[in-house]
Amino acid sequence: MDYKTTVGIEIHCELKTNSKMFSHGANGYGATANSNITEIDLGYPGSLPVLNKGAILLALRAALVLNCTINKRMHFDRKNYFYPDLPKGYQITQARTPIGVHGYVEIEVNGVPKKIGIHDIHIEEDTAKSAHSATSSLLDFNRAGVPLIEIVTEPDMNSPEEAMAYVEKLRELLLYADISDCKIEEGSMRCDVNVSVSKTETLGTRAEIKNIGSISNVGLAIQKEVEHQIEVYEQGGTIQEETRRFDEKAGKTVLMRVKETGNDYRYFPEPDIPFFELTDEDMEMVQKTIPVLPNERRKFYKEKGISEINQNKLIQNRDLSDYLLTAPEELNYVVTSNILLGDVLAYLNKTRKKIEETHLSMEKLTKVVQMLDEGKLTNKILKEILEDLLETDDAIDEVIKKHGITQMNDTDSLMTVVKQVINANPESVSDYRNGKDRALKYLMGQIMKETKGGANPALVNQLLVEELTK
Amino acid sequence: MNNYLDLSILELHTLLKEGKVTPLQLVLEAFDRIENEKDLNAFITLNKEEALKEAKALEGKEVDNPLFGIPIAVKDNILTNDLRTTCASKILENFIPIYDATVVQKLKEKHMIIVGKTNMDEFAMGSTSRTSYFGAPKNPWNKTKITGGSSGGSAATIAARLVPLALGTDTGGSIRQPASYCGLVGMKPTYGRVSRYGLVAFGSSLDQIGPMTRNVMENALLLNVIQGQDDHDLTSSYHELEDYTRLIGKDIKGMKVGLPNYFMSDIVDSSIKQKIEDLVALLETHGVTVERMDIDYIENAVTLYQIIAMGEASSNLARFDGVRYGYRAENPENVEDLYLRTREEGFGDEVKRRIMVGSYLLSGENAKIYYDKALSIRDDMKKSFEKAFEKYDFIIGPTTCSVAYDLSESTDDPMRSFLDDVLVIPVNMAGLPGLNLPIGFNDEHMPIGLHIIGRAFDEARMYQFASYLEQTLKLELDPKGVK
Repeated sequence: MDYKTTVGIEIHCELKTNSKMFSHGANGYGATANSNITEIDLGYPGSLPVLNKGAILLALRAALVLNCTINKRMHFDRKNYFYPDLPKGYQITQARTPIGVHGYVEIEVNGVPKKIGIHDIHIEEDTAKSAHSATSSLLDFNRAGVPLIEIVTEPDMNSPEEAMAYVEKLRELLLYADISDCKIEEGSMRCDVNVSVSKTETLGTRAEIKNIGSISNVGLAIQKEVEHQIEVYEQGGTIQEETRRFDEKAGKTVLMRVKETGNDYRYFPEPDIPFFELTDEDMEMVQKTIPVLPNERRKFYKEKGISEINQNKLIQNRDLSDYLLTAPEELNYVVTSNILLGDVLAYLNKTRKKIEETHLSMEKLTKVVQMLDEGKLTNKILKEILEDLLETDDAIDEVIKKHGITQMNDTDSLMTVVKQVINANPESVSDYRNGKDRALKYLMGQIMKETKGGANPALVNQLLVEELTK
Repeated sequence: MNNYLDLSILELHTLLKEGKVTPLQLVLEAFDRIENEKDLNAFITLNKEEALKEAKALEGKEVDNPLFGIPIAVKDNILTNDLRTTCASKILENFIPIYDATVVQKLKEKHMIIVGKTNMDEFAMGSTSRTSYFGAPKNPWNKTKITGGSSGGSAATIAARLVPLALGTDTGGSIRQPASYCGLVGMKPTYGRVSRYGLVAFGSSLDQIGPMTRNVMENALLLNVIQGQDDHDLTSSYHELEDYTRLIGKDIKGMKVGLPNYFMSDIVDSSIKQKIEDLVALLETHGVTVERMDIDYIENAVTLYQIIAMGEASSNLARFDGVRYGYRAENPENVEDLYLRTREEGFGDEVKRRIMVGSYLLSGENAKIYYDKALSIRDDMKKSFEKAFEKYDFIIGPTTCSVAYDLSESTDDPMRSFLDDVLVIPVNMAGLPGLNLPIGFNDEHMPIGLHIIGRAFDEARMYQFASYLEQTLKLELDPKGVK
């Protein structure tokens, strides 16, 4: 099959702000219908927009995170069309001076890295939400005017996998930079995909698949649409520019409407909002508040020898990843990440807590890891005392003592136990002397049992081997 | 029956302060006058009950400002909380606002009393007030004549001395032109001087609210109240607040005035040109230099206006769709039918015409061909005004090409309406302040007005200039006084 697939993606994200883009109405998901509204959100006669600078700065952050060139002097435009969810009969957006242009997102599919070009990122307002029944429609204006950014890619993706990787990567970036909560199910992140296939260098006619409900469906929808288009071409047909949607149950894309030639939105500069200029201080301030992004974190984890599985787990657990950023440079990151992603994460999931809500300070954890390194603590003991470390401020030694574990480091008392165990297990002793290594492990286990796991394993090993080879 | 409302506001202020007259007396007298002149059709909605209540509530309160207790009329495209605001359109026939426009709030803070909402062209689109869904208002100087428009109701109210003060709005001359036709003082302030919040938008980059009054002093007093930056209007200016009366009474000797040749061309009636010539002579005897000159692009102003104002209007009026407020067509079959019939039944012809033209001008490539081009020529025109103001204190000319004409004159020619405003539109395009001052009458005793154009935010000196002429001319501007 020699068709080449080309995919471009438009993503709308609601910005995490307290108030709306052009009014002081509250921005909050899940409030009682039509409770977060002002005369501006209703498109009331005589009302005029105000400008939410916080939202602009968040959009700026997004543009910077996506490596865009910034339009420091920007204005807004009106996009005119009629729809009941559009109270003013126009949407305020940025057609000519998007806040960011010419950016990119780095993805990786099957180990192959690729840069996906960002055509532009612009600021606009959301519409109201409609609910339709057979005989009527209801409108909730809480969403009307919520700040959005629309991120438009170049047609740089050539497979469902690349498209999914892009959406995933974008979502990760926006989440990490605290720009949007990116909940596709709640509609705070919405995904429109443009798909075409062609046998030549010229791009084929594209279909737009609107509002796909999950990242996996992005891949599935593209796959199905590609199959559909190839089938049409193979049967000698042509593809029209059209808007489709993905029917999850039917597992295929279905036609919504054929696009009329030259969709006429009658764009013109919004006369109610003067030019807005980002200052150097704005730029600096926003630049400074961008958190360490996933790629940088991954690079750091790799340097520290953390496994790829753990790298991904950390990225998915923002809390723990942030927590780990506070660790001292010389820490054993492999051990630390194992502890965090193992028992600590299990505890956090079980108790629905965040790491900062526990008593496990980074200082305490650092000490734990050091003790493990030095053999002063075993994983087994750690498991036993972890909950206390998480829930109390007690020092590690105290916690160990409280659990009735005596840390056995003095050679004399340990030697007593070693001898005792050797005497009680003559078969194992002769097995060891006959070259069976397993016997040593068994004897070790017996000693640890005797000492309730309190013995320093390295020391025990040393003493045992000495004693056996005497 | 006392005739308190023939007194000046400063005289009334003294009487109010001394307790010799109460706000209630003034309001009652205003409603008597309105009732007696009902046939002027100056008001769409009266606020009698509420006005009387407010007037009573003011009794015993400290008379803390010159406009305390003074009745005022407000044009019906400015939102008044709980008081019907129609824009003279069927589509808002029963529309009761849920908030006050910023200017209305300011009037209320000064304890002024709103007697009602004045008639106008539908959505301020027109130059005769005849596009009103509620019928045209009549000119108090001759009730067979138009008031001009779109602030025709406010103009009639002031000319007939129903109340001393009114608010109008001016997108392309809608304060100054009816002020000229009805013989009163009308000021369109610098764009941004007065908040537009709560003014139902027509041409957003041009609209400005302004005072319409019997004389210059009272005009300045009202601008004092309504001026100022407003957080609700991003286009309102941070220019500092001023006392606009402060230069009134000062001499104008040594001032230099430009009179553009275009303003004295064949488009203007000869009787009006003669009055301007007379005025020029008068100015010169008072030590003012007047020079004929040219301002580039002003002859293009109407074309620019049609593109910009209609483009903006087509978008601004999209919100009237029957979904959330206002008129809604009965039993719509579907959403499209709801839109089509609501707007078809709710809007009048002139409004529809402008929406269609505006939509066309913004459509596809036209936005670049027309709208962008218009914006750029508009900039050039602004610059040519700025250049003129390097040399002159004011630009003057006639406000209108003719005096008020017959109400019965045909409305078939849609271009006529723009020609009525051809001399006043350049001011909106450049965002400058413009003022109409009555300077005389024609043979049929219909008022003729002088148009004074100032530099941006130079309203105080315009009042100084206008007031000086007013005091020199001493015209009888009360139609009752003439009969």
